[in-house]
Amino acid sequence: MPKKVVSIIVFPGSNCDRDLDVAVKKHMNVKTKLVWHNDSGIKYQEMIFIPGGFSFGDYLRSGALAKKSPAMKEVIRLSKKGVPIIGICNGFQILTECKLLDGALIDNYKRLFICKENFVKIENNNTPFTQNIHKNVVQFPIAHAQGRFYTSEDNLKRLEDNNQIVFKYSSREGKTNKSYNPNGSMNNIAGIVNKNKNILGMMPHPERMVDKTCSNEDGLPLFLSLMN
Amino acid sequence: MIYRVYINFKKGILDPEAEAIKRTIDNMGYKTIKKISKGKFFDIEISSSKNTLKDLEKISSDLLSNPIIENFKIIKK
Repeated sequence: MPKKVVSIIVFPGSNCDRDLDVAVKKHMNVKTKLVWHNDSGIKYQEMIFIPGGFSFGDYLRSGALAKKSPAMKEVIRLSKKGVPIIGICNGFQILTECKLLDGALIDNYKRLFICKENFVKIENNNTPFTQNIHKNVVQFPIAHAQGRFYTSEDNLKRLEDNNQIVFKYSSREGKTNKSYNPNGSMNNIAGIVNKNKNILGMMPHPERMVDKTCSNEDGLPLFLSLMN
Repeated sequence: MIYRVYINFKKGILDPEAEAIKRTIDNMGYKTIKKISKGKFFDIEISSSKNTLKDLEKISSDLLSNPIIENFKIIKK
């Protein structure tokens, strides 16, 4: 049986595309295809990953210019067909700008670029992206200046009610109060899925946590989940 | 003709940059400043047509602003 192919969308200013490419190829037993943002067709449509970085230099707002790329128009079309899509960091920002995910990601509460490892509580392991994650709390790096998740109170309630909140910043023990909120995100939100649960956006970087020579392997189950 | 599109945060959204600017103004000794909000504007030169305003509104809501967090206002210069 031929290997599945993951399409990774690359924008001018993406800088986690290679990390993602290496992680995915090494651990998911798939091939990858890097797709330049100007390509209007995405040949391999089994899974789409949108990497971190600073697409278009974060001009206007993070992800605002990327959402108008020809490749993203295709991503939006394919999302409606149920294709699994993951946006990490800038990828999450792009997915919210495209309205494929609720909310917006705005300047961190203290306007600092935060680069550190943070504990993240798994709020929902009943999604195609998290079904293989058996820990309650994992440790992922975060690296962003615009990661403060914001949405209206009504939408927040809807996200909670539909179990769309997948990851929350937490303590090592899984406490999710303000003390463990690095960027001021509403309700400590670090990652959400859409209502159909085929699109995941997350600020932390699981692709940087897959190789025990330089990190833990907490990111691995997320990628393995997609192999089921 | 030239139109100016103003963008600012919706009420209730914390803007840490505006807060920091206000704190600095407070430190400069001004005691009367109650609140500062920050925004941005775009001057857009456009050939006049019957769709001018409609086009500008679409550009403003679809790209220049994010309606979840920002308001926009269009003014003819």
